[in-house]
Amino acid sequence: MLQILFDALSLGSLYALGALGIALIFGVMRLVNFAHGDVIAFCVFALLWPSTDAMAIVFAGQLPWYLLVPFVLLCGAGLSVLCEIVVFRRFRKANPATMMIASFALGFVIRYFLLMLFSSRPKSISLLPELSQPVEILGARLPLLQLITIVATMVILIGLTLFLRQTRFGLEMRAAAENFSMARMLGVRANRVIMGAFALSGALAAAIALIFGIQTGTLDIQMGASIMLMAFIATVIGGLGSLGGAVLAGFLLGAASVIMQVMLPIDARPFRDAFVYGAVILVLLFRPQGLIAARGTKERV
Amino acid sequence: MGVAASLANSTAPGAAVAERKPARFALARRTILTPILLSLLLLAIALITVMTGSRPFNQTVIDVFVRVILVVGLYIFIGNSGVLSFGHIGFTCLGAYAAAWLTINPMMKRGSLPGLPEWLLETRLPYWQSAVLAALFAALAALIFGRVLMRLSGIAASIATFAMLAMINTIYSNWESVTGATSSVVGIPIVRVIWPYLIGAVAAIFIAWAHAISRSGLALRAARDEPTAAAASGIDIPRERLVAFVVSGAVMGLGGALMAHSIGVVTPDTFYLGLTFITLSMLVVGGMGSLSGGVVGVVLLSALIQALRWLEAGVSLGGSTFALPKGVQEIALGVIMIVILALRPSGLMGNRELTLPRSSRNK
Amino acid sequence: MTYKMRIVATALASISIAYPALADDKTIVIGFATAESGFMEAYDKPAQEAALIRIDEINAAGGLLGKQIKVVKADTKSDRAEGAKAGLSVLDQGADLVVVSCDYDFGSPAALAAEDAGHISFFLCAESVKAGIQGVGPHSFSASVLAAVQGATMAEWAFKDKGAKDFYRLLDTWTAYNKGICDGFDWMMPKLEAQGAKLVGEDTFKNEDASIAAQITRIKSLPKEPDAIMLCTMMPGAVSAIKQIRAAGINSMILNGSGVDGSYWLSAVPDLTNFYVPVQGSIYGDDPNPDVLKFNATYKAKTGADPSSQYVFPGYVMVDVWAKAVERAGTTDADAVVAELEKMKNEPTLFGPRTFTPELHHQNQTRYLIVETKAGKPGVVGNWTISEPVPMAALLK
Repeated sequence: MLQILFDALSLGSLYALGALGIALIFGVMRLVNFAHGDVIAFCVFALLWPSTDAMAIVFAGQLPWYLLVPFVLLCGAGLSVLCEIVVFRRFRKANPATMMIASFALGFVIRYFLLMLFSSRPKSISLLPELSQPVEILGARLPLLQLITIVATMVILIGLTLFLRQTRFGLEMRAAAENFSMARMLGVRANRVIMGAFALSGALAAAIALIFGIQTGTLDIQMGASIMLMAFIATVIGGLGSLGGAVLAGFLLGAASVIMQVMLPIDARPFRDAFVYGAVILVLLFRPQGLIAARGTKERV
Repeated sequence: MGVAASLANSTAPGAAVAERKPARFALARRTILTPILLSLLLLAIALITVMTGSRPFNQTVIDVFVRVILVVGLYIFIGNSGVLSFGHIGFTCLGAYAAAWLTINPMMKRGSLPGLPEWLLETRLPYWQSAVLAALFAALAALIFGRVLMRLSGIAASIATFAMLAMINTIYSNWESVTGATSSVVGIPIVRVIWPYLIGAVAAIFIAWAHAISRSGLALRAARDEPTAAAASGIDIPRERLVAFVVSGAVMGLGGALMAHSIGVVTPDTFYLGLTFITLSMLVVGGMGSLSGGVVGVVLLSALIQALRWLEAGVSLGGSTFALPKGVQEIALGVIMIVILALRPSGLMGNRELTLPRSSRNK
Repeated sequence: MTYKMRIVATALASISIAYPALADDKTIVIGFATAESGFMEAYDKPAQEAALIRIDEINAAGGLLGKQIKVVKADTKSDRAEGAKAGLSVLDQGADLVVVSCDYDFGSPAALAAEDAGHISFFLCAESVKAGIQGVGPHSFSASVLAAVQGATMAEWAFKDKGAKDFYRLLDTWTAYNKGICDGFDWMMPKLEAQGAKLVGEDTFKNEDASIAAQITRIKSLPKEPDAIMLCTMMPGAVSAIKQIRAAGINSMILNGSGVDGSYWLSAVPDLTNFYVPVQGSIYGDDPNPDVLKFNATYKAKTGADPSSQYVFPGYVMVDVWAKAVERAGTTDADAVVAELEKMKNEPTLFGPRTFTPELHHQNQTRYLIVETKAGKPGVVGNWTISEPVPMAALLK
């Protein structure tokens, strides 16, 4: 039982972090960033030296953890900010569909860029192998990493909450998320806030990349895609623009997925995702604004 | 040939609903040039293809026509309702599998898809009959899903349609006895002549046009531009959306059936995110507010992809061969799409339709 | 309009007459409709290199039927619709043999185009029964071995040779290949159960699942750790699953399909032990057949790298058996060559015997080398041929 709780929490953590990254950008720009998954993939490939050989040439991945973690986080933030400056800045006034397709096209470019540099063969890497050791807690035996994932997510969430509530920058960001044009009029510097949001979102993507990389040991060009989709759904059923809602929904999706895997009979288990998506539709029907509706996103007349 | 006058603008939303019948025929006469011009464009492409006589190029153009059907199908719902749908490729999947069920040789079917009902196991139809039935089947599915989903709007509706796609994909990827799960369904008769695809694409264009000038289509566009005013003048938005959803579902199903006949195998993962994004991109790049935008988007992006592929395969320039590195094609495509969208956020066509310059008689 | 149509028809007719003339009589053409870019490239390219090595050998030895073999290529871009075009394109360039992508799903559009034209198509390394008569037609073959044979081989070998009794089945529902491995396992299991083996549990997951913690919890909740886990999966999810199984402290034997062969990913699971893979030939320098070692050296000289997995080998086998059949038939005519191929029974090749019959253009029983990975080092520990061929009923499941 306890084991199931941990399984659900660790999967939910990944989804929650992803959802947070998408919700942050949506908050300030009304952009659903489909390139997020590819930013995740990019971060993890940043650990390798570009080569199309089957054997991965580990480069930054050999750094000790206290250098490795900041390096990857910086990569994510850097790429994300670069995307903002080069691409998304030109789309501030475009409608959401255009922005969405632009972000998709950008993701496409990043993905095929990685494909050219690294080939499609999944690469393997042993990142911080000491984290793969099992530990025993209250009778449940789980990989140390699972525990660290959960703890790290909690720390990130608390840190982010404090950042948004206690600092001036956080205040500006929250104001912008709530009502962007009003915030601008009141002296919030739009570019700075948006860049901040992109940097944070990129760093979150990098955090997912690290956890995912350590957990699976495989680097794959497509690896960000499935997390991104779940995160995207979590963002919407959490209430677009609501950071708390995104996190909550992320954990709920993770829990739903794990619980269904445990409860369903073997013949129905392959259909697990159909049930999860069915539940998503149900939630949307009853709460079209999401679990926690953000104030700024209601359709106004 | 020029670009002028828009469908949407020529019929001011509020006025459109109030217009009486004779005026609607006037509308039909005024706008019919658009589908005719688009069809002529496709016919010209088909004729050129046949004249070149190259089999790979023929296949390329068949592919373009299938995409035209899919993108026009998307336009019928997305363009008119303004709701972005990520789920329509689900109907393409339904259509493709329905075509497979109806056209595969009964002997093979019994072996590979034993879970089908007895009457279906014994049926074997010519491909054009099965394509029509596939379209109806997809429309039925759209009706069922639409009853539930059309109550939603905005981003919630987009996500709900995506959830629908994911459900269809999960079910079709795992239902061994009926869909063959993830393994390919084979034995679908392959049609390599270009004309059926041309007819399909032209039919899709005319269906889209007819829907757009129908009472329901006009009401839906009114609701897209001024939801509050439209609701206040008695338009039942979920109902009009449902109509568009079903019509577009049928067109997507038709596209799926023809797609199945163009390659000869179907697998569920063909009909998932990749195809969804490619078709959506074509619609948005062309301009999602207009029928011409959809068709032009497909034709131009396909031409661009083809040109880049030729460059990738190598072009000889005065003795030396110039070739792009492998994989550059996709990157260049993405970059060009971003540039087009940055320069023209509402797509190449904007909200305008392709038509002849208006003669002075009309005004 | 009719006038125009007539011009078109005339133009079309003259072109279609002109095309066959392009294939001249001095060469034999092998057309590769394979992925040269996109994600299938990593799988098609190595097997294609191996095929080219065999073609070079044949050409150096004087060619086939006294003619040199010419190679033409068209890129499928790892896309199904492009695959059909690539197939048509190499046919237009006069291909006598159409080589198609490794995977059935990606290779079949090109193979169907070849079948339409009455030409022989060969899948580089597809392991589904459909890659052949059942899914393409009477002129289609695969150079590899059925996935079901891999599952059956591992189960029987683990039971007979390693004394494993309690089996656990973990299936990744992502691809038909994965299911094929487990189908072979399922067919073998009842035979072993009659002799004392036991299936103690089963579960499924999806290749892209970020975590299979729930599935692992189910294994851990068994009263006793199973002797062997049949893991029906492929890259990239395989590494993740193996890593998570070992990280949870489960030390059972892990039995696999050939899809996880290769040492390139072993760094992800340091000191992996008790891990078994069936292979057609060894890339680790310890193959019992010295000619395989020679091939590996040639491959390295040509491409600059050692073979990365056993999926290099079927490309070589393919050209080898096809050329033999052409030699025996004395022509490249498709039907005559098919008839010769179907006469092959346990035809020796570098990478195990090959049999083709009028019912099956694929291998349903062949010798596999078993590679054991011990403390992170893979090496051949034996070989196994299943006691009876996998029957058609189990293959078409």
